Amino acid sequence: MRAYWQLTLAQLRIFLRNRQVLFWTLAFPIFLMVMLGSFLGNGNGMSVTIGYVDQDHSPQSKQLADILKKNEAISLEKTSSKKDALDQLKQGDVQLVVEVPKGYEKRMKNSSQNEKPFTLPVFYNETDMAVSQIGQQLVYNAVDAVSKQKADYKPAVVINPKGVEALNLRYIDFLVPGIVAMMILSNNMNGVAGQIASWRERGILRRMQGTTLKAHTFIAAQITARLMLNGLQALIVLMVARLVFDVEVRGSWLTLVSFVILGTLAFMAIGFIIAGIAKTPESAGPIAGFLSFPMLFLGGVFFPIKNMPEFLQPIVHILPIAHLTTALRETMNVGATFMSLGTEALVLGGWIIGAFIVASLTFKWE
Amino acid sequence: MSSHETIIKAEHLVKRYGDFYAVNGVDFEVHRGEVFGLLGPNGAGKTTTLEMLVGLRKPDAGTAWIGEFDIRKDLERIKEVIGVQLQSTTLFELLTVEEILKMYASFYPKHISIPELIEDMILTDKRKSRIKSLSGGQKQRLAIALALVHDPWIIFLDEPTTGLDPQARRTLWDIVLNLKQKGKTIMLTTHYMDEAHVLCDRIAIMDQGKMIALDTPENLVKNLQSDSAVEFRIDESAPFHLEEIKGVTQIGGHKDVQVLYTDNLQETLTSLIETASEKGLKLTDLQTRTATLEDVFIHMTGRSLREG
Ligand SMILES: Nc1ncnc2c1ncn2[C@@H]1O[C@H](COP(=O)(O)OP(=O)(O)O)[C@@H](O)[C@H]1O
Ligand SMILES: [Mg+2]
Repeated sequence: MRAYWQLTLAQLRIFLRNRQVLFWTLAFPIFLMVMLGSFLGNGNGMSVTIGYVDQDHSPQSKQLADILKKNEAISLEKTSSKKDALDQLKQGDVQLVVEVPKGYEKRMKNSSQNEKPFTLPVFYNETDMAVSQIGQQLVYNAVDAVSKQKADYKPAVVINPKGVEALNLRYIDFLVPGIVAMMILSNNMNGVAGQIASWRERGILRRMQGTTLKAHTFIAAQITARLMLNGLQALIVLMVARLVFDVEVRGSWLTLVSFVILGTLAFMAIGFIIAGIAKTPESAGPIAGFLSFPMLFLGGVFFPIKNMPEFLQPIVHILPIAHLTTALRETMNVGATFMSLGTEALVLGGWIIGAFIVASLTFKWE
Repeated sequence: MSSHETIIKAEHLVKRYGDFYAVNGVDFEVHRGEVFGLLGPNGAGKTTTLEMLVGLRKPDAGTAWIGEFDIRKDLERIKEVIGVQLQSTTLFELLTVEEILKMYASFYPKHISIPELIEDMILTDKRKSRIKSLSGGQKQRLAIALALVHDPWIIFLDEPTTGLDPQARRTLWDIVLNLKQKGKTIMLTTHYMDEAHVLCDRIAIMDQGKMIALDTPENLVKNLQSDSAVEFRIDESAPFHLEEIKGVTQIGGHKDVQVLYTDNLQETLTSLIETASEKGLKLTDLQTRTATLEDVFIHMTGRSLREG
C-alpha cells in the first residue's frame, strides 16, 4: 500500500514538474478549441432532422409537434406515410422518425394513474448512433414536457423543469465534448505508451524489477495518478469552454466524470498494450500515432459520425473513441443520464477489461 | 575479516545469446562479509553473471544460491536480502534524492533511516536536489543508496566507479570499505585492476565468459611466475626480436608499449639495453615495476584488460 501511494505521488510529481508536457497537453486542446470555436462557433453545427408521421391528426399530436419544432436543434419534417418516412431514415435524410399512432389523443385524455404510460414509437438508424441518440433524447425531453403538462395537477412529480427550449446547440457545444475525448485519448494512449516504453528503454523499470515491487502495484499507481491528472485537465478545459464560449454541462457532473474515468481507463489500457508490443520507445510513438490519428477523425471528435462514409460506419462503431464522444456529448449537450448511456458504458467497459487482460499479458519490465 | 561461511554459491552458470556464450559455465563461492570482485575487460560477461545472480536474467543452465535460496525458485525472498546497483540505470530525473529514496524504501517491508543513509552516502547537501542536477559521482552514490535502503545482507555493485573522476572514485572506495566494515557482503565488478586490488578480498578474473582465475589479489600476483615487468617504447617496427632478450618469461604489451616479464630483472634489463644499442634503436619511457593484476591478466590471456 505504501508503495502504491509513493508511486502515485512520484508520477504526479514527475508530471507536474515536466513543464513542457504539462503545457502542451493543456495548451493544445485549448488552442484547438479556441481556434475552431471562434471560426465555426456560431454556426448551427448540430441539428437533427426528425420525420414526423402524424396519424392521429388531433390537437394533442399538433401540440407535440409544436414542442419539437420550438427547439432550434430540431427541424421537423412532416410526412404522411410511415413507409416514406422510414425510407428517408434509411437514406439518412432524416435521423429519426417519430410516429404518432391513431388514438394518441384519446389515450392521453383518458389515461389514469394506474395505467401504463403511452408508448410512442421512435425509429432510428443504428448506423447513425451519435445523432440519433441526441435526437432520441430531444424527443424524450419533448414527451417529458407533455407528460408534465398533463401531470400538472400533481406537483409531486416535478422533473427537470428546464425544457427543451433551452437546447440550442452550436458547433462549439458539439466540439467541446469532442476535445475532451481527444485529450483523454491522446494523454492516455500516447502518454502511457511513450512513457512506459521510454522508462523501459532507460532501464528505470528494470531497476524496479530488482526490488520486491509487484507489477500490479506499479500499474495501479500509474492508473491512479493518470486518473487524477486527466480529471483535472478535463475540468480545466471545461472551465475554459464555460468562460470563453459559455458552453454548459446539461447533464450531471457525476455522469460526465464517470465517462471521463471510463475513457481514461480504456485508453490507458490500450497504451499499456502498445508499450508492451513496441520494441523500442521510438516505435511506441508512431504506433500510438498510427492508432490515434484515424480515431480522432473517425470517432466523432470534430465531425458528427453521421458524416463518415458508409463503409467506415461498422469500424467507427466499435471504436472506443466513438462511444466516449457520444457519451460526453449527450451528457453535456442533451443532459442524458448515465442509465440512458448504458451502451456506451458497456462498450467502454468491454474495452477496459479486454485491453487490461491483453496489457497484463504483454507487460514487460524490460 | 571474512569468515568462510558461503553466502553466494554459483554452479556452472551459463547464459547464451543465440549461439554466443556470454557466460560459459561459471562456478564460484562468495563468503559472508567479504568484498568479492569480478575483474575482466568489457564484454567478459561480468554484468551478465551478476544480473543472473540478482534475478534480472535467467540462466540457460546452472544455478546459484543466495543464502539458502535458489535463484530459479526463490527470487522474491532473495530480493528482500540483496541490494543492486546496475551498470546502466537511469532514475526518474525529475524526483529529488529524498523523494526517490522514500519511494524505493516503500517497495520493501522494512527500511533503514533515510536521513542517515543520505548522510552516509554524502548526499546531505543534495537531498532536495533533483536527480537531473547531480554529478556523475553523486548519481552513483545515490544508486548505491537505493541498493542499501532496505538494509540488505548482500550488495551487488556493477562497475560502480566506471566513468568517474579519480576523486569521486576514491570517495566510492571509502563507501565500499565502510560497508564491508559494517559486515555487509559485497560483490562488485570492475575492469580497473587497481580498484580490484584496493577493494577486494578475493578476485575472480573473467574473460570471454569464463572464469580464468580466482584468488586473493596477493596470491594472484604471487602466482605469476614472473615478479617484475619491464615497460618501454621503441622506435617504429624495427626488426627487433624480444625473444632474444635474456631472462624473459612472457612478452606482453599493447599499442606501442612493450612489456617484458622476468624473474631476473637485472639480467633482462642489461640484455635489453645491449640489444637495443647493438641495433642502434632508441628505447624511450623505460621503466621497471613489480607485476600487478593487470600483468596477471596479460599473462593469462595474452591481452590487456583495456583492449576489451
Ligand atoms: N542482451 C544481450 N543480447 C546479446 N548479447 C548480449 C546481451 N547482453 C550481453 N551480451 C553480450 O555478452 C557479452 C558479455 O556482456 P557483459 O556481461 O555485459 O560483459 P561485461 O559486463 O563484462 O562488460 C558481450 O559480448 C555482450 O555483447
Ligand atoms: Mg558490464
